Amino acid sequence: IVKSGLILQSISNDVYQNLAVEDWIHDHMNLEGKPVLFLWRNSPSVVIGRHQNPWQECNLNLMREEGIKLARRRSGGGTVYHDMGNINLTFFTTKKKYDRMENLKLVVRALNSVQPQLDVQPTKRFDLLLDGQFKISGTASKIGRTTAYHHCTLLCGTDRTFLSSLLKSPYQGIRSNATASIPALVKNLLEKDPTLTCEVLMNAIAAEYAAYHQIDNHISLINPTDETLFPGINSKAKELKTWEWIYGKTPKFSINTSFNVLYEQSHLEIKVFIDIKNGRIEICNIEAPDHWLPMEICDKLNSSFIGSKFCPIETSMLINILHRTCPEDDEVHSKWNILCEKIKGIM
Amino acid sequence: MALRAAWRARAAACSLRAAWAPAVPCPPLPLGLRAGAARTLRTGPALLSVRKFTDKHEWITTENGIGTVGISNFAQEALGDVVYCSLPEVGTKLNKQDEFGALESVKAASELYSPLSGEVTEINEALAENPGLVNKSCYEDGKLLLEIQRIIAAVNVCRI
Repeated sequence: IVKSGLILQSISNDVYQNLAVEDWIHDHMNLEGKPVLFLWRNSPSVVIGRHQNPWQECNLNLMREEGIKLARRRSGGGTVYHDMGNINLTFFTTKKKYDRMENLKLVVRALNSVQPQLDVQPTKRFDLLLDGQFKISGTASKIGRTTAYHHCTLLCGTDRTFLSSLLKSPYQGIRSNATASIPALVKNLLEKDPTLTCEVLMNAIAAEYAAYHQIDNHISLINPTDETLFPGINSKAKELKTWEWIYGKTPKFSINTSFNVLYEQSHLEIKVFIDIKNGRIEICNIEAPDHWLPMEICDKLNSSFIGSKFCPIETSMLINILHRTCPEDDEVHSKWNILCEKIKGIM
Repeated sequence: MALRAAWRARAAACSLRAAWAPAVPCPPLPLGLRAGAARTLRTGPALLSVRKFTDKHEWITTENGIGTVGISNFAQEALGDVVYCSLPEVGTKLNKQDEFGALESVKAASELYSPLSGEVTEINEALAENPGLVNKSCYEDGKLLLEIQRIIAAVNVCRI
């Protein structure tokens, strides 16, 4: 029997292009007797699971300031931070051959082939733990009609401080049915052993995969924007970048919070109740004390928000339009600005 | 609401009929059903409502052109604890085999495929807060689509 299989490595570090490769292989390749391993790394990005809420999972304000991309993948699971110090591995098989534990054991064998003393174990939730305490890999998967894929991360030399601050949500009062991430203590393999670089580990995993499936140990470099290799892939990448996919797919949620504004040397509490469906405001109830901002103005703001994206950019545009159409005095305008800045801050 | 939905289904059926050239008097079998592969369960006094299973382990019962869809006991056991159900919006039109949603369990998102063509007119809202119903009661409280109206001319199920 001639064994078949492929080991692919992306030349791109764009998270959307790389996720599109996964979609493409899942949709188009016949994996019967021909499993595929895909190796990829991304420039700094936060990746949330299919059914997650980005407002609940990460600091979107910080991400906007730092130019960190946000992507939603099609598999389940929790939120992760990718940078060039993290390796992503995707194991493609038929549905019948889908076996996450088998894949993780393969990764462990590969790690031990480089460093036999390394203590890495898979857990029941398909994490990989270093020294019994530090998470170095998280897993997620997608099961389709006839094919499935299991992908996992592997921390070699990621910026852990940045990771912690990005994956900490500052947003209060969120009530949601979305799947929530479980925070974990992480560590980089490079901190344990400086020889465990991304290159070394990718090669070791490829070698172990080739040995296990009895195929050539040959990594094929692929360009995820090549339409001749992957017809239709660019439109898949484009879909993954849309606001509708990244934010609009967030399960329905509500926000019940408040913030303070300074007024005549004391603090006034402004209550906020917002319902968001498909990333758009469905119900909006901003309650400011009437003596600070007239109720008609608050009401107008509330009704204007309905149907608009829960997004600071769209909110800014909305506020500008409202300003122009509502002649009010300077004092009211400045209060309006303060209120709107606070509201944008929770988006 | 039901009347409007029924009218929409009929209107869609008319435009589909023009495009669809039936060669056989009996409507085509839903995806995955092959002679001998389907199992039927009698669910009521009338023989109109039988539960049919696809080989992907979705089930469907139909009555007067209205279908109810869920997943089988085998499927829910294989999945493990369901933590999230992603279902289509009411009004979504599905073709046979279309992906209509997903179930998430222990970090795996499993796609759901429509066993028939139709318009979704009612989903099981209880699953939003209680996705575990799919495991506890996959044929009753854990049903996925409560109502999907067929967009194919024939009304009754075809005996295999």
